[in-house]
Amino acid sequence: MATRHNPIEYDGKIIEFPYDNPAEEKIPDEEIHQNLARPTTERTKRLKARCRWKHATAGEFVDESVRAGIERMRLITEAHKQSEGKPQVIRRALGLANILNKCTVIVQEDELIIGYHAEHPNYIPMYPELAYMAVQDYLQSPKYAPQPVEEATKINEYWKKYSLQSQCEAYFTPEELFQMYQVSTIEAPEFATGYNSIIPPYETVLEDGVMKRIELAEQNIQGAMEKMAEPYWNATEGLQWISKIDEWKAMIIAGKAVVAWARRHARLCKIIAENFESNPKRKDELLMLADICQRMPAEPATGLRDAMQSKWFTYLICHAIDRYASGYAQKEDKLCWPHYKASIIDKTVQPMTHEDAVELFECERLKISEHGAGKSRGYREIFPGSNDLFIFTLGGLNRDSSDGCNDCTDAILEAARNIRTTEPSIVFRWHPKGREKTKYRVFECIRDGLGYPSIKHDAVNTAQMLYYGRFSKNNNGATPEEAHDWVNVLCMSPGLCGRRKSQKTRTEGGGAIFPAKILEVTLNDGFDWSYANEQLGPHTGDARKFETFEELWEAFRIQYRYACDLGVRSKDVSRYYELRMLQMPFVSLLDDGCMELGMDAMELSEQPNGWKNPITSVVAANSLVAMKKLVFDEKKYTMDQLMTALHCNWEGYEDMRRDFLNAPKWGNDDEYADTIVKRYYEDILAGEMRKITNYSGGPVMPVGQAVGLYMEVGARTGPTPDGRYGGEAADDGGISPYMGTDKKGPTAVLRSVSRVDSTSQKANLLNQRLSVPLMRSKHGFKIWKAYMDTWCDLNIDHVQFNVVSTAEMRAAQKEPEKHQDLIVRVAGFSSRFVDISRYGQETIIARNEQDFGPEDLEFLNVGNLV
Amino acid sequence: MATCAECKSFFTIPENADDYEQGKGDCVREEKDQKGKYWLSKPVMGGMSADNCSYFTKKLAK
Ligand code: SF4
Repeated sequence: MATRHNPIEYDGKIIEFPYDNPAEEKIPDEEIHQNLARPTTERTKRLKARCRWKHATAGEFVDESVRAGIERMRLITEAHKQSEGKPQVIRRALGLANILNKCTVIVQEDELIIGYHAEHPNYIPMYPELAYMAVQDYLQSPKYAPQPVEEATKINEYWKKYSLQSQCEAYFTPEELFQMYQVSTIEAPEFATGYNSIIPPYETVLEDGVMKRIELAEQNIQGAMEKMAEPYWNATEGLQWISKIDEWKAMIIAGKAVVAWARRHARLCKIIAENFESNPKRKDELLMLADICQRMPAEPATGLRDAMQSKWFTYLICHAIDRYASGYAQKEDKLCWPHYKASIIDKTVQPMTHEDAVELFECERLKISEHGAGKSRGYREIFPGSNDLFIFTLGGLNRDSSDGCNDCTDAILEAARNIRTTEPSIVFRWHPKGREKTKYRVFECIRDGLGYPSIKHDAVNTAQMLYYGRFSKNNNGATPEEAHDWVNVLCMSPGLCGRRKSQKTRTEGGGAIFPAKILEVTLNDGFDWSYANEQLGPHTGDARKFETFEELWEAFRIQYRYACDLGVRSKDVSRYYELRMLQMPFVSLLDDGCMELGMDAMELSEQPNGWKNPITSVVAANSLVAMKKLVFDEKKYTMDQLMTALHCNWEGYEDMRRDFLNAPKWGNDDEYADTIVKRYYEDILAGEMRKITNYSGGPVMPVGQAVGLYMEVGARTGPTPDGRYGGEAADDGGISPYMGTDKKGPTAVLRSVSRVDSTSQKANLLNQRLSVPLMRSKHGFKIWKAYMDTWCDLNIDHVQFNVVSTAEMRAAQKEPEKHQDLIVRVAGFSSRFVDISRYGQETIIARNEQDFGPEDLEFLNVGNLV
Repeated sequence: MATCAECKSFFTIPENADDYEQGKGDCVREEKDQKGKYWLSKPVMGGMSADNCSYFTKKLAK
């Protein structure tokens, strides 16, 4: 039997909590998640059963048949050798064209959306031109190495001298490089990792089609040639056309190659239908797909099937074939709405039912689930139990401030709930105007334990787009209407989407910085005694001699600023070379700004969007609170005593550790702790970072989050004054209370978090774990909705939920094979619980399960519960 | 010497295709593993030697 939530005395009545679905009362707590998947059709049931998952755990792929392919690296190298002497942007386009013209194209049985990016559906492509170290990782693995490995090794060697890394390293001292490669105070630089993110302008593909974009580029070349031929040659103006003409030519080469590649899929579908397929229904489907791929993405999309296929091809090019980029950033309900309307409501093109649309969105989720991302082992390690950061955005307001939720939003959410996959994750933009019907769909996904949608505050983030727009170098930042068109770039940070001005590279924003480790080196005059045994920051003095809290505060400020500067400088140096070496002419073809100005997408940045991700912030915050209280205010201990205890990992100092552990903690609506933590977020984390200006001319702001780095970097961080032992996991993200320390209930967490001004940060992740019996009870939606409305009124940037019981997680640890559908929210992504390491699983279990008491219900103004 | 053009997997690219070249074709193979069936297509030239290709199967005369 399921555990029923205890009755609560509230509003003068005893409130009972029967299950919303009475049948669930008979399902034991340990099994509920295995009973929630319900693929819409037999097809998606089959597709899920045979899905070629690319999940990793502890850096290893769970499916043993996953390996690296050699085809892409071979073809990009062949093109590079053949195009010597040509302008670099043209070489980039020819590289893409060579891959697309000669690569293997794949169709799998049952698929309604087709296309893959390697020579075998179990393979993942390699990108030696982006980061030879990432390829090296695969080469060294007997399981995954591309074959023949000798050829792959030779190719990787060839690219070393052309790599971003070899260009950029020259601008850093050996000490600085050492500090960055440690990944303990800051993440390794982009020029070494090849890790990237992008928001492709899907809008132009669906609205214009690629052929129309090619025509525009051709017209621009013609116009430029005419300008150059005008009488009285003026070199100061005329020579500027050269790079533009090259860019437009490159766009045309790339665009034509993409169309031809898509049409190779059309041909393959037709060949299969006519030569291999015996089932007449599938034959018809294949011929329909052949027709779609012949037209998509060459022409504007008409119905929903067109839109989904065109979007998928565009995704493959921008995220996986031209360059690797994590993410799945798009405003999917807005993008698909006209096509959904045409197919499902008006039935004018590709007519279908709402259920057919749900099936199509389920197919999309399964395509993403088996998409292989060519990232290094280090990056696989930080997404335990998942594949990659695939995240799209729904909801919010439209440009005219009307509600952005529609029936397509609902179909996407229904698909997510029905098929139950860890990816892609969903962000829902919460606005009071958002319709209740859609918010209920959001609730259903969360209640079923998917961990998504994660919720972002619509108004706070729309205002942020306008703020960044003010710094536009060409005075063409977001307009008030355009500011409504934003999505999360990856887990947490918003960025504009649309026909122009979206973020095209991670050198604009992204990359972590680790305050817990920075605090540790602050206490040791910049030296890392517990992990690297090297100087990781400037000399800021012997902490044993600090006499005031302000001395400590200012020393931390200097260490933090140093790490921020180094991190952002390494991004901008990467960008300097990226726009000279790694142009993306196909993305440029799609962007209205690049098309108009003849500039590459790596170079043109009309809307600044700079950020870095502080990860492990709350360990540092709680440590500062404990030191202020016990050392500087109450003077119970000296800094000397504390330092000695820390260097012994608290061994022999258990009583002292208990005092530091019991010091006030963030997330309990505690005035003392919250005043310090507010100042820490606003004055240091944001205050110092925002003084930095990046490539695009805007400020760099903090995006507090975690990914799996709270475990990785926790392991590299020594004992800390919050009472934590060396090597223990850090906090699980952004502004979330440290696991198990938020003991005053869910509304106390909201009150604490709301003290930090959301507009001072770019984003801040708030993880909460809610009670399963409460969420699944007949009052679940009403209470959760009241919580969300309060959260919104308090102007908090973000919140996401785990709704999974300890009983079920413990049962899954015992019998993993029976719990393949148990999903948990780790950080900005969800994971299959059984694929997470035991260490990681324990960090989820240790999170406090929040329950709602009468005082919470009153604070939330829940109203009448009957 | 057997050539790709004689192989069952060879499908000539139509003249109106974007990637048409005289003699060029799609080499289309059906594969199956425990996850199901899938089809791979790769461009080849009909005149290419098939002697070293383990997938070569002679096309049946029409
Ligand atoms: S490559 Fe092999 S399988 Fe393909 S057409 Fe040539 S001989 Fe046939």
